[in-house]
Amino acid sequence: METTVDKFTTRTTSAMEAFEKLEKVGEGTYGKVYRAREKATGKIVALKKTRLHEDDEGVPPTTLREVSLLRMLSRDPHVVRLIDVKQGQNKEGKTVLYLVFEYMDTDLKKYIRSFRNVGQSIPPQTVKSLMYQLCKGVAFCHGHGVIHRDLKPHNLLMDRKTMTLKIADLGLARAIIVPIKKYTHEILTLWYRAPEVLLGTTHYSCGVDMWSVGCIFAELVNNQALFCGDSELQQLLHIFRLLGTPNEQVWPGVTKLKDWHEYPQWSPSDLSSAVPGLDKDGLDLLSKMLIYEPSKRISAKKAMEHPYFDDLDKTHL
Amino acid sequence: MDPEDIDVVQPLDRERGISLEDFKLIKMHMSNYITKLAQNVKVRQRVVATAITYMRRVYTRRGLTEFDPRLVAPTCLYLAAKAEESTVQARLLVFYIKKMYPEDIRYRFEIKDILEMEMKILEALNYYLVVFHPYRSLTQFLQDAGMMDLMQFTWGIVNDTYKMDLILIHPPHLIALACIYIASVSKEKDSIAWFEELRVDMNVVKNISMEILDFYDNMMNNIEERINIAFSKLPLRSA
Repeated sequence: METTVDKFTTRTTSAMEAFEKLEKVGEGTYGKVYRAREKATGKIVALKKTRLHEDDEGVPPTTLREVSLLRMLSRDPHVVRLIDVKQGQNKEGKTVLYLVFEYMDTDLKKYIRSFRNVGQSIPPQTVKSLMYQLCKGVAFCHGHGVIHRDLKPHNLLMDRKTMTLKIADLGLARAIIVPIKKYTHEILTLWYRAPEVLLGTTHYSCGVDMWSVGCIFAELVNNQALFCGDSELQQLLHIFRLLGTPNEQVWPGVTKLKDWHEYPQWSPSDLSSAVPGLDKDGLDLLSKMLIYEPSKRISAKKAMEHPYFDDLDKTHL
Repeated sequence: MDPEDIDVVQPLDRERGISLEDFKLIKMHMSNYITKLAQNVKVRQRVVATAITYMRRVYTRRGLTEFDPRLVAPTCLYLAAKAEESTVQARLLVFYIKKMYPEDIRYRFEIKDILEMEMKILEALNYYLVVFHPYRSLTQFLQDAGMMDLMQFTWGIVNDTYKMDLILIHPPHLIALACIYIASVSKEKDSIAWFEELRVDMNVVKNISMEILDFYDNMMNNIEERINIAFSKLPLRSA
C-alpha cells in the first residue's frame, strides 16, 4: 500500500504544479478563488481552493455537494463548467482541494453595478437575453432534481464578450428527494428570498428559485434590488407593500406557516409602478414569477416559452 | 455500466488467488457490514444504499488488495452520510467499528485512516457522488398499482438488491419494478394488467427479477464459510 500512497502524492503535487496562480479574484464562503493559467495549454481557469475542516471531519459536506452536483450539471451551457478536481497540499502539509472551473470575467452583480455607476440602464434586449439564459440554466437544474436555493446576481457568472450567463455556487443546492421537506433553514440571501422561506416553510420547492429569478429580473431592469430588507421581517414588509399582504384567499395555507404573524394590511400595487422600464409581456412574466403560492409560480421551463422571449434570437443561447 | 466491466478481478487480486466468486462475496459481505454499521450510527436507508453504491463503484476501478475493503466500507458510509446531508462523525464510526470487532486487528482503524481513504475514494469515484435509488419510484409505482400492502415486502427485496451490483447496471426504476414483480408473484397478486400498461420492456424487468432470484438461491449454501475463504485471500492489512 505504501507504493500506492507515494504514487498518489506525486500525482497530486504535480497536478498543482500544472497551474500558475495569477491573482486572487475572490474569497468565497469556504476558500479563496484564483485566476490561474494552465501551464501546458496557457488556458485561463478559475481555481477555487477549499480548505478541509480543521476539526477532523475531512471534506466539508457543502464542497462535496457542490462538486457532485456540478459533476452532474456542468454539461449545461448555462451552468458553470467544472473542468477538474485536484487534491493537493498547502504549506502546512494539510490537504486542500482545488476545483478547476472555466474562467468567467465578471458576474451579474458587478455587471449591474457598472451600469448603475454611470446612471445608465441595461439595454432591454440584453436583459431579455440574460433572463432567457438564466431560465434555461435553472430549468436544467430543476430538470435534474436540483434546487439551487441561493440564486442572486453575485452567483451568476458572465462573460462580457459573449454575454453568456452561467449559474455558479451550488454549495447550498441539493438534489430533491420526494417528499420535499425539511431543508436547512437560513440559506438564501435575504433580498432574493421567497416569502415562504421567510415565513418558515418546511416544504422547499423549485418555486424558491423562481422567486429569486423574478427578483433578479426586476433588478436587471431597475439597476436596483427589488426588495432590500435588512431583516427577515423588513424583507417581508417590503414584499407585502408591493404585492399586497397575502391572505388565505390568494395563498391557501399562508397563515399556517410557522413564522406567520399579523401584519399591516397592504393591497397589491401595480407592478409597473415598481418596474417602470419593463414592457407589458415582461411585466406579465415577472408577475408570474412573483406569485405568492409557490406551486402556482411559473416554472423555469414554462418561463422560457413566455411571449416576452418571442422576439429573442435564441439560436446561440 | 456493462456487467462485463464490473465483473473484473484486478490483476493484483488475481495474483492472490481471488476469484470472481470471491470478489462478489467480499462485496456482498461489505454491503452487509455497511448496513450493520449504519444501524449503529442511525442513518436512513438511502444513505446505506448510497454508501454501498460508492463501494461497488470503487471496486470497478480499484482492486481489493489496493483498497482494503474493511476500510473502504466505513469510509463509503462516512462519505455517503455527508453527500446525503446527514453527516456522521468519523469519531463515531471508529467507535462502532471497534465495538463490532473488538478483538480483530484487521478492523482497527483511526480517524486519520478514514480521512485519508475518503480522499482516495473521491478520486476513484472521480467526484461523481449523486446516486439515484429505486426507493422513490417504488413508492410511486406501488401507489399507482394500488398495492401499498406490498410495500414492506418489496422494500426488503430492494434492500437485498444492494448485495449485488444491480444498481451499477440497471436504471433504478427498473430495479423497483423487478422487485414489485417478484413480490406480486410470490404473494399471488394479479399485477399483469398493471405491468402491461406501463410501457416498459418487460423482458428487462423479468431478467432483473431472475438475477435477484438466482442470487437468493445461491446465498443458501454455506455462505459464511465461502465468505471466510474469500477473506482469507486478502492481505492481512493493506492500508
